[in-house]
Amino acid sequence: MGASLPPKEANLFKLIVKSYETKQYKKGLKAADTILKKFPDHGETLAMKGLTLNCMDRKSEAYELVRLGLKNDLKSHVCWHVYGLLYRSDREYREAIKCYRNALRIDPDNIEILRDLSLLQAQMRDLEGFVETRQQLLTLKPNHRMNWIGFAVAHHLNSNGSKAVDILEAYEGTLDDDYPPENERCEHGEMLLYKISLLEECGFPERALEELHKKESKMVDKLAFKEQEVSILLKLGRFEEGERLFRVLLTMNPDNYRYYEGLQRCLGLCSENGQYTADEIDRLETLYRALAQQYNRSSAVKRIPLDFLRDDKFREAAENYIRPLLTKGVPSLFSDLHPLYDHPGKADILGELVLKLEQSLKSTGGYPGSVEKEPPSTLMWTLFYLAQHYDRCGKYDIALTKIDEAIEHTPTVIDLYSVKSRVLKHAGDLTAAAALADEARCMDLADRYVNSECVKRMLQADQVTLAEKTAVLFTKDGDQHNNLYDMQCMWYELASGESYFRQGELGRALKKFLAVEKHYADITEDQFDFHSYCLRKMTLRTYVEMLKFQDRLHSHAYFRKAACGAIRCYLKLYDSPLKSASEEDDEMSKLPPSQKKKLKQKLRKAEARAKKEADVKNEESNAANVTKSGKRHVKPVDPDPHGEKLIQIEDPLAEASKYLKLLLKHSSDCLETHLLSFEVNMRKQKILLALQAIKYLMRLDADDPKSHLCLIKFFHKIDSLPTPVTDTEKLIWGVLEAERPTFSQLHGKSLIDANNTFLEKHRESLMHRAAVAELLYVLEPNKKAEAVKLILDSANDLVPIDGAQGNVSSWKLNDCITVHKLLETTLADRDAASRWKVRCAEYFSYSIYFGGIQSSAATSSANNQIQKSAANGAVGLNADGDSSLSSNGRLEKLNALKDLHI
Amino acid sequence: MGAGGREVAISLDGVRDKNMMQLKKMNTAIFPVRYNDKYYTDAIASGDFTKLAYYSDICVGSIACRLEKKEGGAVRVYIMTLGVLAPYRGLGIGKMLLNHILNLSAKQNVSEIYLHVHTINEDALNFYKKFGFEVTDKIQNYYTNITPPDCFVLTKFITQTKK
Repeated sequence: MGASLPPKEANLFKLIVKSYETKQYKKGLKAADTILKKFPDHGETLAMKGLTLNCMDRKSEAYELVRLGLKNDLKSHVCWHVYGLLYRSDREYREAIKCYRNALRIDPDNIEILRDLSLLQAQMRDLEGFVETRQQLLTLKPNHRMNWIGFAVAHHLNSNGSKAVDILEAYEGTLDDDYPPENERCEHGEMLLYKISLLEECGFPERALEELHKKESKMVDKLAFKEQEVSILLKLGRFEEGERLFRVLLTMNPDNYRYYEGLQRCLGLCSENGQYTADEIDRLETLYRALAQQYNRSSAVKRIPLDFLRDDKFREAAENYIRPLLTKGVPSLFSDLHPLYDHPGKADILGELVLKLEQSLKSTGGYPGSVEKEPPSTLMWTLFYLAQHYDRCGKYDIALTKIDEAIEHTPTVIDLYSVKSRVLKHAGDLTAAAALADEARCMDLADRYVNSECVKRMLQADQVTLAEKTAVLFTKDGDQHNNLYDMQCMWYELASGESYFRQGELGRALKKFLAVEKHYADITEDQFDFHSYCLRKMTLRTYVEMLKFQDRLHSHAYFRKAACGAIRCYLKLYDSPLKSASEEDDEMSKLPPSQKKKLKQKLRKAEARAKKEADVKNEESNAANVTKSGKRHVKPVDPDPHGEKLIQIEDPLAEASKYLKLLLKHSSDCLETHLLSFEVNMRKQKILLALQAIKYLMRLDADDPKSHLCLIKFFHKIDSLPTPVTDTEKLIWGVLEAERPTFSQLHGKSLIDANNTFLEKHRESLMHRAAVAELLYVLEPNKKAEAVKLILDSANDLVPIDGAQGNVSSWKLNDCITVHKLLETTLADRDAASRWKVRCAEYFSYSIYFGGIQSSAATSSANNQIQKSAANGAVGLNADGDSSLSSNGRLEKLNALKDLHI
Repeated sequence: MGAGGREVAISLDGVRDKNMMQLKKMNTAIFPVRYNDKYYTDAIASGDFTKLAYYSDICVGSIACRLEKKEGGAVRVYIMTLGVLAPYRGLGIGKMLLNHILNLSAKQNVSEIYLHVHTINEDALNFYKKFGFEVTDKIQNYYTNITPPDCFVLTKFITQTKK
């Protein structure tokens, strides 16, 4: 490096490199300039100067200098390496890899460059290349531990686990008998555990177990050791030993559900679907009774039996479980129990038994059969549970009665207001739900959770500005809105994006959805540092697990929601394109001149204001953020904060396809993915891709009304296409001809027949009828009246639901809203739509959408719910007289009146 | 866990901007009066003389005072409100709140504590008398919307324990 320079300059060059490594960029820059005074064309110095400037946020200069340096000295591996580093800093990994390869062509054995290359290969999952580079590194420096480990991990990632084991054993062969020294024991133990897990993974459980026992003393993490051992024992079918070990693990942590599950497996009492025979249930009961005696402080041991017990035994166990938790006041009790509501019959039992507790508490002050009095709060928690119970069963009116009673009893418990807010949301009154969540928030301004919950409710009620203001209460001062982005606050971005989408603000919606997509790109990016760190620290098991997690990252629900949201925005943009500038001018010209002038002035002023604001912001952040090293931490001001540029794209479908690709790759088992794929590809006239979407839909759920809609619409569209002319068209037709018979729904039937068959099969279901009606109209537009009738004739059967103690409407609120929109827009029958609305307002009396009589839409003010609850306070006071029996109680009640001063 | 004689922890906490709504909620529930902003500013300004009582982490009672400077630097404490939510009465929470004020007054430079009680509120009068308060005045037409509209002024004079 710097070889062509005289000694003095060569030393300066070394200084540049050192300054770069120690982040003293100003110093490095000075040294570079000194050399360049004498040798202005020295390539490596130019390149290093560029790299230094890159770290000082002078990107364009950096690229210029590095490229110039490279041009002056194409044979220098330093220049190529620097070029690669520059690309790497901009996450242009493919370009970086090319540069490293060029550098290695000049200096094949350069360890530093090889190491940097291997990191990029790991990041890009170029696994074959990774193995190769790691092998080279090991050959060059076999006395380095990290090189052995790196080579082994590379083989493991490249699906060659047994080779990885061989390498690790070879490495162990190079170690002395007394290895490891005291300060390396953890790392060595981790390596051994990794090797054993590899053996287990590649199907050598015997060897794994043998190795585990042989090296036991060398493994520091005793818990991991035991968990590894028990996992191998299970694989080997050595259940008796497994059982013993699980019991040991339980003494260490009697609240770990996986240990209980493992123990059950060893005893042959394991079932995938939670179904057991009567005999098995008896054995399980005995097992858990014994365990409960042993671990009386464990809550897991008390909770698990509720999953397998049934009927009266369930009732007894549930009551014993619930009573002390209501006494203690555990707000999460319902969340703990709500999975049981999916078991047949259990919701009924839970409802009955808690109602009985309520009655007893009200009449005697204690639980049934108990002479002891409960603390006053028990009744409140019981009502709190019942409200959530009825909410879960769809009985919103009873749920609200119960929660109001609880609020009247103790108006200071925040959870009560949160639950009331949730019930109202489910019942369809989003405005009141937001108001109540805000009330809950006000009761503890220091609680981030109630703040967040309130923000979410506000967004659901489309109060975006208010929500933003509320969310910002918990972000750092200064750049407030960006702070939510920096914190990767995705629930907020999703809820906000969805709200903007509902309000037709596609730019702002897209901005939010794409922000989420960026976070996922950042998370992928974040793994980079771990490729070197984990090999050094030997945390190999977690490292490999992290890589696997990263490979599945984009299948996460938040990403799916964001991608679906973005695609929907693009579809809408395609269907109703923005007005172009000339069209807008047209509209303007229609206005009278005076108004035109005013409007123009207004626009100009707004523009000027926005510009000024942005300038001030820019200056502020520039002034404040110059650090010692000369690096400026300037946060670039977002040039498009409201996504206005995002919607001015030429080809929305091409953008949509980008995100669709990610969905197809990572969420191909989701119906939603293929519904969107169908929509996008139909618009793009990509017949075969649309066909593929249909095939997926049929495979995933052919009975879903949306799948059916796509299927029929697709073949209806095909039938209306002109006869093929070109070779490509003929080819596509050939495929369609061959594929059509594979859809059993269409076998020997016309589309109309297929639609009727679907109706016969799902006559009772509202959404299926709606789909059939829509298609009826598509296939035979003259039968619109029949289609409308088909929908209006649907019957809302009241069905008994577990735990509801009575019948509940079988229609879902959101479905009814969808149907209303179908009647109003697609079928364009206003009269039918309004009749539908009146009918639904009756079923959903809290729904704002349908204007139900109990919703805040009908009762004029959104604060209605709040005022009602505030009034509860006064009622509580009046009710005192009959409830306070003890003299003390009366005394304090009267205290209440003592210092009235009005 | 035994019931009846079971011990439930009762603790006191101060009132701040962040949790003031708890006090408001409670006052709405207990008193038929809406207190104005001055009441809450005074309460917060009184520092430790205004407290919320928590019954196993549920806010169920409160005492709110106003500090009044007398000539010579002594402080007079006026108890604006003392209340406990109906279901939680008879558990000694009011007593605990009042005792807190008495103890605090004894430690600080407080010469007297006073408050107003409705003339026919026998129980309240007895309650305060138990703690050493005495009737020092009667104000006619103190209340506007209850009969009789008169109130007693109850006062307890403090002899400082501090040197």
